[in-house]
Amino acid sequence: MANTVIAQGITIEGELTSEEDVVIQGTLRGKLVSKDTVNVESGAIVEADIAASSLSVGGHITGNVTASDRVDLMPGGRLIGDVKASRLTIADGASFKGNVDMDV
Amino acid sequence: MARASSSTSHGGSAILGKGAHIRGRIAGEGDLRVEGGISGDVALKGDLFVSDGGEVTADIEAKSVVVEGTIEGDIAATDTVSIRASARVSGAIKGSSVSIEEGAAVQGSIDADFELPPELTGKAGR
Amino acid sequence: MADVTVVGQGIFLRGSIRGEGDVEIRGRIEGDIEVGGEVTIADGALVKADVTARRIVVRGAVAGNLTGEDGVRLEQGARVVGDLRGATIGVAEGALVRGTVQTGNAPAERGRARTAAARETKPAARAAEPRKPVPAPAAAAKGNGLPRRPAAIAQEERTGPPPPVVPALKKGARAALRKRSR
Repeated sequence: MANTVIAQGITIEGELTSEEDVVIQGTLRGKLVSKDTVNVESGAIVEADIAASSLSVGGHITGNVTASDRVDLMPGGRLIGDVKASRLTIADGASFKGNVDMDV
Repeated sequence: MARASSSTSHGGSAILGKGAHIRGRIAGEGDLRVEGGISGDVALKGDLFVSDGGEVTADIEAKSVVVEGTIEGDIAATDTVSIRASARVSGAIKGSSVSIEEGAAVQGSIDADFELPPELTGKAGR
Repeated sequence: MADVTVVGQGIFLRGSIRGEGDVEIRGRIEGDIEVGGEVTIADGALVKADVTARRIVVRGAVAGNLTGEDGVRLEQGARVVGDLRGATIGVAEGALVRGTVQTGNAPAERGRARTAAARETKPAARAAEPRKPVPAPAAAAKGNGLPRRPAAIAQEERTGPPPPVVPALKKGARAALRKRSR
């Protein structure tokens, strides 16, 4: 399971660099660069650019995201920003506004 | 205000009983147990113990210091400093190792000799 | 809040952590931590930040001031350069500290303690509010010169206890603080 969890009720502002999986249930403002996966869960609010190996969006993200592997927008998830990933899924019930570049 | 100085013989142990108060400089080779009061200066080669109820208003030099009572003054121990839960200490504290039990009332500073990891040097607020 | 926020060993955060809940830090932080719950700084963690919380437990390395309303505890292995403030302060044998220490019910020199505390107005004032209801309001009104250099304070402590000094919170600091802390 993820080693790093930002729980609901907590707000992190700044630049977050991670070598491991990150789960966000709270609020993140700034920038997130992870060598591993990032999971933005339902209820989470992210105002940041995110770079990760893969990203799962169940909460709200405003920012550009880059994934070396894949980006999955889950039902209820919302992404406003550009996506750069070789694989992308947008589930029924997810919201998305931005550009997509799958030519990685 | 008589000057009093007291010394103990090698390895000896002195006790300042409850109700006794010394004002002046106390120097000794041995240990000192304070149940009463001291105002002045304390310089021991041995260990200092201040019992609950003991009151020392003095700068202290000793080998180790254990305090359960009150110390107002700086503490310089060559060995350990132990501040017990019933203690009230006010002053700069230095020792090879300093420990404080939760419940103690402490106001002052602790000065230990060590280095932080390099990532942290350039300390915040100091 | 149910969950604990964990900042893992592989994390480096340059920024702030705020909010309600408990936080466990195992990685590296440069910035600022202010939470309503308990902050645990694990063995191996590297924290270059002031930490303000309800309670703080340290087993790692910290360069910054620690203000724990209910208490601050340094366990064996802790290395802290910074000021400790809390209702109670525990320092285990084997924990290394360099800085000022002030517990909630300190003897005699309340004034001098507050002067030292006022060097970091934010954490000290915040922690001091609930702990010292009586001197604080009168003190804020007087509002004398604020930050005293650590050297000056250490010097003062060496020559013995001075007469009580009026606590040195800058005028408006508490109000500004209240506004800031929502």
